[in-house]
Amino acid sequence: MRSWLIVPLLILAAAAQAAPDGKLLYDTHCSACHQTQGHGGIGLPLTAEILSQISDDYIAKTIRNGRPGRIMPSFQTLSDAQVGAILKYIRSWSDQPPPRFPPLTQKGNAKRGRDLYAKHCQRCHGKDGSGEGSGTGVTLSREREFMVMPAALNNPGFQRSASDAMIADIIRRGRKVGGMPSFRHKLSEQQIADVVAWVRHLKPPPPIRGNPEWAGKAAYIMESPYSFEETVDNLKQALTGANFRIFPARYLDQGLTDEFSVDKRQIGIRFCNFKELYHLLNIDPRLGTVLPCRINVIERNGKVILVAPNVMEIFRLFNNRELLEVAKVMEDVILGVMEEATL
Amino acid sequence: MKKLLTLVLCLAAFAAQAQQNLLMVRTQLKAPEAMAVLKETVQEYGYTVAHVQRCDGGMTQFHYKTDYYRVLFFGKLAEARGLLKHYPQMAPFIPLKIAVIAEKNETVLAAVDPRALGRLYGHDPVLEVQFARWYNDLKSILEELRTFKPKS
Repeated sequence: MRSWLIVPLLILAAAAQAAPDGKLLYDTHCSACHQTQGHGGIGLPLTAEILSQISDDYIAKTIRNGRPGRIMPSFQTLSDAQVGAILKYIRSWSDQPPPRFPPLTQKGNAKRGRDLYAKHCQRCHGKDGSGEGSGTGVTLSREREFMVMPAALNNPGFQRSASDAMIADIIRRGRKVGGMPSFRHKLSEQQIADVVAWVRHLKPPPPIRGNPEWAGKAAYIMESPYSFEETVDNLKQALTGANFRIFPARYLDQGLTDEFSVDKRQIGIRFCNFKELYHLLNIDPRLGTVLPCRINVIERNGKVILVAPNVMEIFRLFNNRELLEVAKVMEDVILGVMEEATL
Repeated sequence: MKKLLTLVLCLAAFAAQAQQNLLMVRTQLKAPEAMAVLKETVQEYGYTVAHVQRCDGGMTQFHYKTDYYRVLFFGKLAEARGLLKHYPQMAPFIPLKIAVIAEKNETVLAAVDPRALGRLYGHDPVLEVQFARWYNDLKSILEELRTFKPKS
């Protein structure tokens, strides 16, 4: 009996020890954003030029740390072997070896670097190093020629992943794909070291918080003192007043059953502002996963309630700070509409 | 038996990567084909397609340039009604949805990871099982799309 057990156990052990498949891991975890061959999409492109400027250590740390607030998630649960396999697969697209950066020979002075940064870098990377330009990657309606937004240098993920020597190398060489010029002939080695020292001083912006009353909750819920029909009318009026276009309402189980069997005491009032939608989808094209905007009116046991998704908490799932800034405004608008409908 | 199933579902869900809040895959199919395959696949998993929202249509109407962008809504009637009856605060997330986003000749499919929503609903054993089940289904459906090879 025991010998029967040993064979499958050995097979399982062998499978566990087998080298991870880099292509499979990349296709599963990375390709949705970076495209199958690293051409970039929602995520940044991994072109030959970019790969020639980033070290293996930087890529591995980026996979591990992600970019808080800049879409790229952190993959903390991948093993070292799995990260290594992804790295090997990405490197297989280019015939160039991974770059190695000589350590900086000069010690940078952050104070001097601050002035140089203001003169040469701030216009694109922003005063606080948050980067510039809406969204990230190349997708949807974005002009596809401009492939890379100026990096968020103050991002904790970038700070933990990039070595001083690598940042210095990018300053020297520039980055054609993102429109960054070479500073080889504009800045001395000492000045480059000074800029790097200032980059290390850049701090991430403070976290964006929503209405504390609703923090940590999945939905905004308000009870209406009006009848179901009156509440629906009030809600539509409040939405129109807030400049939203209202779509035909849908019962919450509509489409899941025939039209005679739907529960007509639970309805979703769908609304949109296309200008805002367009803006939001450019910031983050994945937003469709939580669209459309909808406030639900439900009657239960004689009570009428309004239920809407908590946009601060839901948008937080996208790891996109820019989206969260919009969510803060949207939260006020949606809560205002719900309050107006139930006053 | 039910408890065992619950345990297996939850273990399977938590064994997977817990740090991602969205489930996303890329398929080599063009967006309209991806949508057609997606509709078939969700039905194979026992769901009913409720409707398709055309986000691109609305934006085009307002003269915004956009690629194919639609959202598929789907669910199971008994499940949806049961949840809405006992958990009306779940209403914003019923039915389930998957966004279908064209990227040139390929398509990205994305859905919110139900486990991430689960974190906002506290420790409710019924909802935990529900979220784990949805996660397993969505993950499998999206994986089928990722690996789908058109018949030549």
